[in-house]
Amino acid sequence: MEVDREDGRSQNQLRPLACSRSILHRAHGSASWSQGDTKVLAAVYGPRAGTKKNENPEKACIEVIWKPKTGQIGKLEKEYEMILKRTLQSICILTVNPNTTTSVMIQVVNDDGALLPSAINAACMALVDAGIPMRHLAVAICCCVARSGLVILDPTKLEEQKMKAFAYLVFPNSVHSVLPKGPPSVQGEPIENGIITSFTHGTMSVDDYFYCLERGRAASTKLSDFLRRNLQQQPTNSSKAG
Amino acid sequence: MDVRLANTWRLSLNEKNFIKTALLSDIRIDGRKPFDFRNIIIIFGREDGSAEVQLGQTRVMCVVTAKFVQPFRDRPNEGTLSIYTEFSPMADPSFEAGRAGESAVELGRIIDRGLRESRAVDTESLCIVAGKLAWAIRIDIHILDNGGNLVDAANIAALAALMTFRRPECSLGGEDGQEVIIHPPEIRDPVPLIVHHLPIAITFGFFDERVMVIDPTHNEEAVMAGRMIATINANGDICAIQKAGGEGVDQRVIMQCLQLATTKAVDITKQIKAAVETYNSERALQKIKHEPTCVATKVKEGQDQTLDNEGINELVGKYMERLKLISRESYASQNINDEVEVEPKSLRRGADSNGIKFSSAPLSWDPYSKGVDPEFLKASVASQGLSTGNKKKESSGDEKPETPGPFEDVNPNSSAVGASRNEMQVMGPKTLKDAVKPKNKRKKKGSSMI
Repeated sequence: MEVDREDGRSQNQLRPLACSRSILHRAHGSASWSQGDTKVLAAVYGPRAGTKKNENPEKACIEVIWKPKTGQIGKLEKEYEMILKRTLQSICILTVNPNTTTSVMIQVVNDDGALLPSAINAACMALVDAGIPMRHLAVAICCCVARSGLVILDPTKLEEQKMKAFAYLVFPNSVHSVLPKGPPSVQGEPIENGIITSFTHGTMSVDDYFYCLERGRAASTKLSDFLRRNLQQQPTNSSKAG
Repeated sequence: MDVRLANTWRLSLNEKNFIKTALLSDIRIDGRKPFDFRNIIIIFGREDGSAEVQLGQTRVMCVVTAKFVQPFRDRPNEGTLSIYTEFSPMADPSFEAGRAGESAVELGRIIDRGLRESRAVDTESLCIVAGKLAWAIRIDIHILDNGGNLVDAANIAALAALMTFRRPECSLGGEDGQEVIIHPPEIRDPVPLIVHHLPIAITFGFFDERVMVIDPTHNEEAVMAGRMIATINANGDICAIQKAGGEGVDQRVIMQCLQLATTKAVDITKQIKAAVETYNSERALQKIKHEPTCVATKVKEGQDQTLDNEGINELVGKYMERLKLISRESYASQNINDEVEVEPKSLRRGADSNGIKFSSAPLSWDPYSKGVDPEFLKASVASQGLSTGNKKKESSGDEKPETPGPFEDVNPNSSAVGASRNEMQVMGPKTLKDAVKPKNKRKKKGSSMI
């Protein structure tokens, strides 16, 4: 089934990706991620001494601050903060620096669809830039289900509004192991098939959802490669104190 | 509480003394002279009314939006202008999220005084129905990186954003002439704001022993004893002066500062205007290229990676039917080829000069990498000015604001087509079979362009 997308992409095509690291001078780590016209800036400070009141002091704590492009901070921003915080908590190794807080700040520069996935990707890159220890990276993708039942990837804002339902999916990135025994797996399945986060909006059938997962996984391999190439290209700057 | 103290950044005594001693010999730690401004880079965002300014290490982003409100009762004929400053904790670890600290409030007030009270932005033109409906302009300033002198950078960002902001055009209509119709941007061009003059803020830092510098960095700000911010426009009119406490300064020094500020304001005004000009001309070019997309959308189905002879025949057949085209569109489609060739570079727009840049080769993004040969296009165009499959490339490729240089002549006369026709008279009559050559030919063309 062919679908008419406004910018001429096919249903499985992503928008052009661009990513830069270490763009801010005061922040310990920073990254800018853009997918097509959606652009997000992420900055990381940390680890800093002390945890918040209700957090477990035996582990590191992650704090997320989301700044929209314009307007007041409302419930949507708080929800995004919570999702981002839980996602990042599951990929960071929290036992390495107990009783510390790592702050992640997200600034939306432009929103043209798939905002939360872009923010997750940007936050991940910023954490790498800051040198926070992580198990693996998180790769986020948005899949939406059209009214005709077609699943398309990486929608623009107009497409997102017209769709019946969409899902933001976050997968661990693919692993290239140097050990001969092969990549780590959980119960026989390779680790990159796991889902870290899934956030859906609208109604979709179970089959549609599984189809989204499949497409999302396939796209996440491409994204992982892009991330890997980007990270391997430049070494990070020396640590920034203060 | 002591946790917060442990996390604040403080300059060591040695560093402070170093800065002060160096200033006594007119040396600044970043190598500037005392009256040198840092390099200003103005970058515009995708949408109208969004600008980012880099002043050395300081980065500020400003977004302008508008909506309808009822005007204030004591000013029923004017719209409103409001400034919201957010000192994001991204910029400096000592900034707190949520609550605006006193320096954030001060910054907002200084910019507000410069813009509103000096009548730089014309608020009377924002009124639609007196007493009932007017535009409220909201300026959001996001501080991204605190490298010192946030006021000046934020001011420039606000001015750049205001000058490139466009509000939808609206007119009164309906039976009683009281209904307001908002015209969508596709029907009528959005309208820019009326800005009479540009008030530029210049910050001076005062140190011990009568030392004065312009545009302090954040290290110098931690050391300085007092500061003064003068908002001046290019005509030499003083819009505002802010000196809140700090070390007492001789009046001759103040006069000297003001004279210096006037010269700097002239320079910065020129820079802002030049940046806005470039943005406006790019925007105008983009608008023209955007027009044909409404023609192209229908022909999308059946477009595929491999265009063999039958495919091209089909395409040409389809497009032969659309004869309403103006030659400038075909000119545009030729240029789009150029644009796609340099597409990976165009992703660089908006990326910062200081940081590490990386743009991916578009992930299977360009569906027309094996697309129609440009020479074929010129041949087909010469006859009647067709829109060909390149229209699609155009709609997908021209999201990037980089526009090819040679596209200057926009008049819808046939001189453009004539020129192209002359160019390839040399080729002689071409058949459709010739059209599908050239990967190698296109590569040569690509390399000559880059």
